[in-house]
Amino acid sequence: MTFFILRKILYAASVLLGVITTTFVITYVLPGDPARLMLGQRADPESVASLQRQLGLDRPLWEQYGSYIAKLAKGDMGRSFSTNRDVMGSILERFPATALLSLSAMALSTVIGILLGIIAAARPNSWLDTALMSTALLGISLPSFVVGTMFLLLFGVTLRWTPISGYIDTGWNHLLLPMITLALRPLSVIARVTRSSMLEALSQDYIRTARAKGASVPSILLRHALRNALNPVITTISSWLAGLLAGTVFIEYIFNWPGIGMVALDAILKLDYPMIQGTVQFTAIIFVLVNLLVDVTYAFLDPKVKLS
Amino acid sequence: MKKTSAKVMQTGESVGQLAWKKLRRHRAGSIGMIIVGLLTLIAITADIISPFNPVSQVLEYSLKPAMFRGNALHVKNPSNPELPIVIPIKEFHQQGDSVFYVDFSGRADAQPLIAMHGTSAQEFHSRPLYILGTDAFGRDLLSRVLHGARISLVVGVLSQALALLIGIVLGATAGYFRGKTDGIIMWVCNVVWAFPTILLAILFSIALKTANDAFGFSLDAFWQTFIAIGISSWVDIARVVRGQFFSLREMEYVEATRALGYGATRTIFRHILPNALGPIIVLSTAGIASAVIIEASFSFVGLGIQKPQPSWGILIFDGYGYISNPDNWGLAVFPSIAIALAVYGFNLLGDGLNDAFDPKSLRR
Repeated sequence: MTFFILRKILYAASVLLGVITTTFVITYVLPGDPARLMLGQRADPESVASLQRQLGLDRPLWEQYGSYIAKLAKGDMGRSFSTNRDVMGSILERFPATALLSLSAMALSTVIGILLGIIAAARPNSWLDTALMSTALLGISLPSFVVGTMFLLLFGVTLRWTPISGYIDTGWNHLLLPMITLALRPLSVIARVTRSSMLEALSQDYIRTARAKGASVPSILLRHALRNALNPVITTISSWLAGLLAGTVFIEYIFNWPGIGMVALDAILKLDYPMIQGTVQFTAIIFVLVNLLVDVTYAFLDPKVKLS
Repeated sequence: MKKTSAKVMQTGESVGQLAWKKLRRHRAGSIGMIIVGLLTLIAITADIISPFNPVSQVLEYSLKPAMFRGNALHVKNPSNPELPIVIPIKEFHQQGDSVFYVDFSGRADAQPLIAMHGTSAQEFHSRPLYILGTDAFGRDLLSRVLHGARISLVVGVLSQALALLIGIVLGATAGYFRGKTDGIIMWVCNVVWAFPTILLAILFSIALKTANDAFGFSLDAFWQTFIAIGISSWVDIARVVRGQFFSLREMEYVEATRALGYGATRTIFRHILPNALGPIIVLSTAGIASAVIIEASFSFVGLGIQKPQPSWGILIFDGYGYISNPDNWGLAVFPSIAIALAVYGFNLLGDGLNDAFDPKSLRR
């Protein structure tokens, strides 16, 4: 077991190194000169050169890479071009908002998604099943910025049920619209996966046995089928959980939610490279860590995983 | 249902033919096919079916609500005889060799008849109908949405083609050679997978844009966009292809190609790949759908395709500022509906294809 976990951690670390190297290459090698970007096109060559020295840009690439990794290990992601603030600090400051949004959305979509999946699987190919599954496919198809815009228009502007933008410090109802918008896609996916996994489980012999014994329908659905159908559902949930941090970008923008997504978009609009690099890397690191955690938890819960 | 398989035996249909048959009978799949077919038709014929030129501006008609009917005179355009100048008016009458009119601001004016586009009032006067209203520059929204289909679909298809190319080559190599090769390729997959696709695509797009500006490549926003999306979204394809190859390479016919002394490339592309096509086709329809979404997301950060005609994403983004305006909410909503419909269509089709290629449902 220790060996298994150790191997997983080492692999995750190597993937992280790959992520860091990729961002380094994309942001440092390709897009021109950060010193010139910081000072603007009209800056005189001397000040550009002195800033290059200050940033270490005059040193060979591998040396820059080395010092970049060394700094990153200490949690130093550099300073923002536009605000001159510490990148790591700015990201950590915004992290709770994004975490709150993604976790609440994930909880919502898990509960409702599984529920809808069970309802659809209880009567396959009925009108209710067809209606639920077509709606779920629509939920997958709608881009978050479209859903967000529509919700904003409907509930915020026309019906005035919810505030249209802002953070929970001025009321918890600010969470509603962004949470539901973000939940829609994973909810739909979870409902579809639950349905097909439930159908698979319901066709097994032990379900027939349970029916023959006279078990009630809810008991068959929940105690016999659902327990055996949950595995793919949990896999889906965990992969969404890891990726959800990235999914908040446009929703945060639309609802003016002060999370990492806002910081990332803002940085992209301003071509603030250290900040872009920092937010992309941070989301990737969280993704790898959550996946690692899920893998290890899995190994504890299901002994088959370790062996494969 | 056993009948079907008996019939298959008799007529000897290929997997593709069977899948096609089942797809046509699949309700969701058929609806998806119709939507995708219609969108393709719209994209091809956008120039013919659009009521207006999507880029011609009539500033007097800026931000008009849906079903707005204009009242306009058409005057010859010296620089472009094809595209007459539009003068929005309140009223006009023809007297002798001149056309007298009251323009949009209420000022009386006149034009000689020879300056008009055409000789009779039927030709130089019109009451154009703006079905979906107009944007801030007085351009017809419907025409812009119809033309947007072209950009969005082409970007979707091209970027998916690029993703398929990368995904198939890497997935096939990993699945066929296994061992160390597989380990390295899967590591690359995991690295790319760790990045949020949209942010990675944006990052690539910025990098391409800067490289373009710095080295003077002639890659415009269109190329930058589809390359960036393509190189960011191949991981799922590579994984699936790898999985397919893992099982297919154990088949006897693959062993036979080895016995015949065929090279790896020939075995991979001529013999294994055709048998792995089903899941790849299913994935690529879903891939086109998500590429359309990513392209649209690009416009939120100013990277979308603006010229010469806008993509749906740009339309939404441009219309976003008018969302709470009772007359102009359509500027963001109509292109949003277009995107949602397109993506829904591709996903329905993907669902249908999934069932059509599913060997489990072949047996039933």
